[in-house]
Amino acid sequence: MSNKIIYSKQQEDFDYIAVNIPCQHACPVNTNIPAYIRALFESHHSSSYAINAMANIFPGVLGRICSRPCEDMCRHGEKELGNPVNICHIKRAAADLNKTPAEPLKPLPPCGKKVAVIGAGPAGLAAAHDLALAGIDVTVFESFDKPGGMLRYGIPRFRLPRTILEKEINRILKLGIILKTGVHIGDTLSLTSLLENHDCVLVAAGCYTANQLNTDGEDLKGVFSGLDFMIDVCSGRKPAVGKRVLVAGAGFTAFDCARSALRLGAEEVTICLRRTEEDLTVTADEIFQTKLEGVKFNALMLSRRILGTQKVEAVEFVRTRSGVLRPDGKREISEIKGSEFVLPADSLIVATGQTPLELTTGDGKLAVTDTASFTTSMSGVYATGDYLSGPSTVIEAISMGRKAAEVIARRLTGKKYRKKVVRMQETQVTDRLRAWDFVPRQAMPAIQGTTARLKSWAVEVETGFTAQQAAEESKRCYLCYLHYEIDIDRCIYCRYCIDVAPRDCIKLVDRIETNEHGAVTGLHETSVWKDVNAVVIDNARCIRCGECLRVCPVDCISVTRVELMEQGPPSDSSIAEHKNA
Amino acid sequence: MREDHFIVIGNGPAGSQAAFTLKEKAPEARVTIVTKEREGCCHSHLLPGFLAGSISEKKVFAISLDHYTKSGIKLRTGQSVVDVNPQRKEILLEHKETISYSGLIIAVGGRPYIPEPLLAYREHLCTLKTFQDTGTWRQLLPAADSILIMGGDLTSLAVTKSLLALKKKIYFMLTGEAFWPLRFDKALQEEVSGKLTKRGVTVLAGNKLVGIEPVRSGSCRVYVDGQKIKVDMIGAFFGLVPDIGFLRRSGLQLDRGVLVDEYLCSSHEGICAAGDCAQIYHPEIKDYWVSIGTKNARSLGKIAAVNLAGGRKKTRVDRERIFDIQGVKVNTSWWMEF
Amino acid sequence: MPGVDLTIEICGMSGDGTIAAGTLLNEALSGAGFSIIGFDSYPAEIRGFGRCVTRSRFGTSRMLALSDHTHVLISLDDQQAISRISMLGKNAKVLFDNKPAGTVQEGMSIAAHTAPDADLYGMPFTDLASEAAGTTRGKNLAALGCFTGLAGIDPRFFYTVIEKKFRAKGETVLNANLNSFNAGLTYAHTHFEDAPLVITAPAPEKKKVQRIMLSGNAAIARGALDAGLALYFGYPITPATPIMEYLAKTLPQKGGKVVQMEDEISSIGAVLGSFYAGKRAMTATSGPGLALMAEMISLGVMSETPAVIVDAQRGGPSTGLPTKTEQSDLHAAVFGGPGDSPRIVIAPTDVAECYQFTLKSFELAEKYQTPVIVLTDFFLDNRVENVAAADISGKKRVDGNIYPPKKEQGRYQRYLVTPSGISPRALPGSEGYIYPATGLEHTEAGLPDYSEPVHMQMNAKRHTKIRQALADLPPPKEFSQKGPLDLGVIAWGSSFGAALEAVLKARKKGLAVGALKVISLFPYHEEQIRQFMSRCRRVLIPELNFQGQLANLIGHLHHGDVVRFNRTTGTPLLPSEILLKIQELLQKDNT
Repeated sequence: MSNKIIYSKQQEDFDYIAVNIPCQHACPVNTNIPAYIRALFESHHSSSYAINAMANIFPGVLGRICSRPCEDMCRHGEKELGNPVNICHIKRAAADLNKTPAEPLKPLPPCGKKVAVIGAGPAGLAAAHDLALAGIDVTVFESFDKPGGMLRYGIPRFRLPRTILEKEINRILKLGIILKTGVHIGDTLSLTSLLENHDCVLVAAGCYTANQLNTDGEDLKGVFSGLDFMIDVCSGRKPAVGKRVLVAGAGFTAFDCARSALRLGAEEVTICLRRTEEDLTVTADEIFQTKLEGVKFNALMLSRRILGTQKVEAVEFVRTRSGVLRPDGKREISEIKGSEFVLPADSLIVATGQTPLELTTGDGKLAVTDTASFTTSMSGVYATGDYLSGPSTVIEAISMGRKAAEVIARRLTGKKYRKKVVRMQETQVTDRLRAWDFVPRQAMPAIQGTTARLKSWAVEVETGFTAQQAAEESKRCYLCYLHYEIDIDRCIYCRYCIDVAPRDCIKLVDRIETNEHGAVTGLHETSVWKDVNAVVIDNARCIRCGECLRVCPVDCISVTRVELMEQGPPSDSSIAEHKNA
Repeated sequence: MREDHFIVIGNGPAGSQAAFTLKEKAPEARVTIVTKEREGCCHSHLLPGFLAGSISEKKVFAISLDHYTKSGIKLRTGQSVVDVNPQRKEILLEHKETISYSGLIIAVGGRPYIPEPLLAYREHLCTLKTFQDTGTWRQLLPAADSILIMGGDLTSLAVTKSLLALKKKIYFMLTGEAFWPLRFDKALQEEVSGKLTKRGVTVLAGNKLVGIEPVRSGSCRVYVDGQKIKVDMIGAFFGLVPDIGFLRRSGLQLDRGVLVDEYLCSSHEGICAAGDCAQIYHPEIKDYWVSIGTKNARSLGKIAAVNLAGGRKKTRVDRERIFDIQGVKVNTSWWMEF
Repeated sequence: MPGVDLTIEICGMSGDGTIAAGTLLNEALSGAGFSIIGFDSYPAEIRGFGRCVTRSRFGTSRMLALSDHTHVLISLDDQQAISRISMLGKNAKVLFDNKPAGTVQEGMSIAAHTAPDADLYGMPFTDLASEAAGTTRGKNLAALGCFTGLAGIDPRFFYTVIEKKFRAKGETVLNANLNSFNAGLTYAHTHFEDAPLVITAPAPEKKKVQRIMLSGNAAIARGALDAGLALYFGYPITPATPIMEYLAKTLPQKGGKVVQMEDEISSIGAVLGSFYAGKRAMTATSGPGLALMAEMISLGVMSETPAVIVDAQRGGPSTGLPTKTEQSDLHAAVFGGPGDSPRIVIAPTDVAECYQFTLKSFELAEKYQTPVIVLTDFFLDNRVENVAAADISGKKRVDGNIYPPKKEQGRYQRYLVTPSGISPRALPGSEGYIYPATGLEHTEAGLPDYSEPVHMQMNAKRHTKIRQALADLPPPKEFSQKGPLDLGVIAWGSSFGAALEAVLKARKKGLAVGALKVISLFPYHEEQIRQFMSRCRRVLIPELNFQGQLANLIGHLHHGDVVRFNRTTGTPLLPSEILLKIQELLQKDNT
């Protein structure tokens, strides 16, 4: 068997990845998920961590709080195949179980360029990381006392222990990045003055203006914005919430607020949804844990007025009617006229989103001019992260940070640093057993009993997989990066493979449809024997069980490992090859 | 032209009524009922009486299986629907059979709700919704002298009545959130509590459950706010949640139940919902409500069928029977009878 | 506790391991102490589009016949099993694979066809096997595991038989099968906790009886082997072929030979030749073959040469219904052949009797120097029963030959007329015992002679001899109370079990009925039969032929009315239909 490695930049191969490795394609930073899961299964915890870190920089953090777009696309989660692989928690296991400190990354020799990054949140830190690796001198300015942005000030400790966060931030800062905290751009230091000392400025200042309800009573005592509430909580302050707490909002922040309120002594916490529980984008695990702690949900209601004299006493809501899905994935809602009703409350936390706190330039406000090229109205100033896009997820912010860094580095040095490439290598059928397809999704162990949970802020609710659980969960991954193909010239059309196929993944076709790049887009099946021109494995349906290969009497089925990866600075590519060992 | 095929999911009072009405309104059409229950149409409100021995098994199953066959209705028992595809107008059954429909009525009813914090003790909690549930009760009851009833929904009161008739010692842990989507207010809670106490029930209102510890098979030690009671059986009655998990990927608009208009039509053409899985906004009472109780279910089943067959009939709300607390309303015809 | 009486079917496509699963199920249930009768049904066509069905009735009392309905259906292939739904009784349990490889259209699943009262148990047989053993091949074992779990049967009965069956194939195969079985078992336990238990195994027998699962055909072959069979000659024909197959594997080990002849005529010819030379031989055929043998059988009669012929009846006339059961060769067996050619015809009624009477037939053939026809049928040949090991093995072979005295005085009279009609027979090659053996009518010395007295004398001798055999033939067996009966049911062969079950049920209902089992069809025990009939107000003879062939044979012995109950649907008689007939007749009498 030839072990030749092919690196392809053909569009058809990228198109292949998009359909056939759905998890990696769904990940905003294209983490090589099958590879890190396989590495973990083989107990190569440090490799597993490194494969993650290459792409998403914060494996330990993301392994806890990522929004997991990959799991929504996981092939194992297809209707007839069960539940998606617990990709996120395997990532956490890679971080938790990795006992060897990560090899220090080696930046390229200094190129003499200087960049200022505003904001030490996920986007800013990710950008700083990539810029530093390119040999650029990076200074990060942060308005809070400590770095981390929303990771530190938006996510409570019971979901993300600070030790984990600090460890991964330090890993980045060790690249030689200068961090200046407590600095507000605009107060003492303007964008213009920053540009004088730096070749470029990257604004990753996030979204720190909370949306208002714009209703009566918003100034009453007991009304909090979700953002401020979380910043308070995360800074160790203890806002007085009273006994009955209403939370308006449907995102992670609303959930964090509700759970934090319980830890502040509230007895009755209700999340008030404009839409329904069905429309929530928060992960199912998160919803379950929140309910388990005792938080109630109320749907199809919209707050209208806050009632009270000195402080909040009640909130008036109006019923909503849910409508069609909008193209942005959110459901249309409309108020139902005359359906007002009142719920008593001691406090109301409004967690209905936030917008960027816009920076000013000499000429006025700094405006984003092109989201694709990260440019702003001010030459030399770029924007990224939530500041650029509005509120997004941590993984999206990291992705934006890294992309912006690449744009800036190219502009400053004229060189490309990161190139996407499809790596192909013929391999052998794995040792995966068909039985592993039936291993149930391992549930994340969590502290049982609300008393134990609410005891201290430092109690991390989810306790993490044991090595054994992590290995068990990693067995479940189909390893979609394996591509099974029938060599039609050698196939004798015996159809043994079809007999043993676990689903309709091998097809008798008369023709194959391809797109303009040559990627397969459709298989035209036929049941008329004389029209059959090929027996084809539909890799979009294939669950990589290997049964076909094992029964093939003429050995005409080959396996190729196909991976989307980045050819980055030399220090990274060593890792890429390492894990393939 | 392809013949009409109406599918009704669920064979409770609402589903069966819907099917018979459809057959009546559209005699030429195929009518299929798919139910995950193994038995026929079970009147679950009669189950407490059945446990007490005052109601016969025959009475619990109101409609004979032959009656479906004779009426030309295909009844598929013991089969679960796992998905609905409104675009292709198909349902998918658990055993991977797809069936095309021209009209669909979802009448799956509810399943007993167990509050999430209690899920850790699930194995010790007995519920009573289906005929199959009576098996556990009949098995444990003879040896059970004391029984703890948790919750406080409609069934709990009927069960309590039946158990008292069987001379059992009853503890009752009345919980505010027993009755989705309602919460008892103080006055109501006191009223119910008073009624229970008068009948000789030990009411543990307002107490918090700390833990449940099995002693031997069946018996449990229950820790409630520092005190400890030993009971032989625990019944959990926290109302019902519509059993609509299978619609998650369908694109239908869901909240707790299937969101339908006052004609019981869902967000998708040709799909109606009836019974206590149908969540309706009613302009007259200015709120979403679900209707429970056999009589209501039957009437909703009929309305859904009439509308699916081309009619235009509105649901009616009988004001006196609306159980109204905190702006959320349930239409019930039998709660107040206790 | 009421006794168990259930019928379970497994249906699949060839390759699903249906028959293997059925065998394991029977063996395990036998180990659990149940009595079993199993009958696999085949489609009418010999190749049959690949459908396989095994059907077993098992229970706590002795199982005598098949039941009307199936109580448990295990579908390994829904497309095949859908056709079996018509057999289901009320509230039948249907176990089927609910995770086929892809989605199927409406109507392609068995669940689309079952009646509402059926209890469906969708269980992922294929997935369970894939999970447990990494291959779909164990899905039949997974299905058995599911059934075992649902039925609450002790799995150890299955472990024993799985071990026995697969041990020889090595640890890997054995474990794969055990794992698949256990996966099914666990699945049933975890998913159907509340499901009603279907089956309670009987209390262990006080005296442990070793039981063996055996088909009628296998029992015939074993009977022949224990009789010291030296040679088997045959030509394949359904349903007799398995006898030849069984012997082909076993007879050579005992020094015997199995020869496939060019046709049935040469087969019976070779059998006659063997016996003539003093070696025990046998052939087995079905109706069409028996017809071809008719002339040769009469040669055996005329030349007074022993022969053992098994006639495994199937639907006729001619090629008829090759895979269906019928009892329509009785006339051909008793009377078929040129001239007055009396022979012995004996019809076992169950598997144990297949063994016993095949064994006995060799002795009879030798002693009475005549062809003996063992009359069975498709249902008896292919049914399996768990018979007590003691009933089907270790019986002593008896040499039936009557040899002339060592020193013959004067010329050897091969066909010497004696009071019993039996003439001592010398084997060829014995010094001083030369005689002609011929199909022509002959004198006592064996010389051809067509004269009046000789033919009359010899006919009488041959008939006397056969009548004499009655003393050695199994007499009819009566199952009834003493005294007069309102109705007597007389049955033979494979139908007797159903008749007996019907009579036992009728008696439980308080009816004065009795059953008579007739084993020896020719000669028959006229006295005993007449005696039974005389106590019966009416006589009912149910049989699987159109004319009522047994009724034709013995009906005249009754003083009154003989009611014939004939059915030629190709399927075994059921106790329920006979019971219905009994009730109908007695009701008519009462009104």
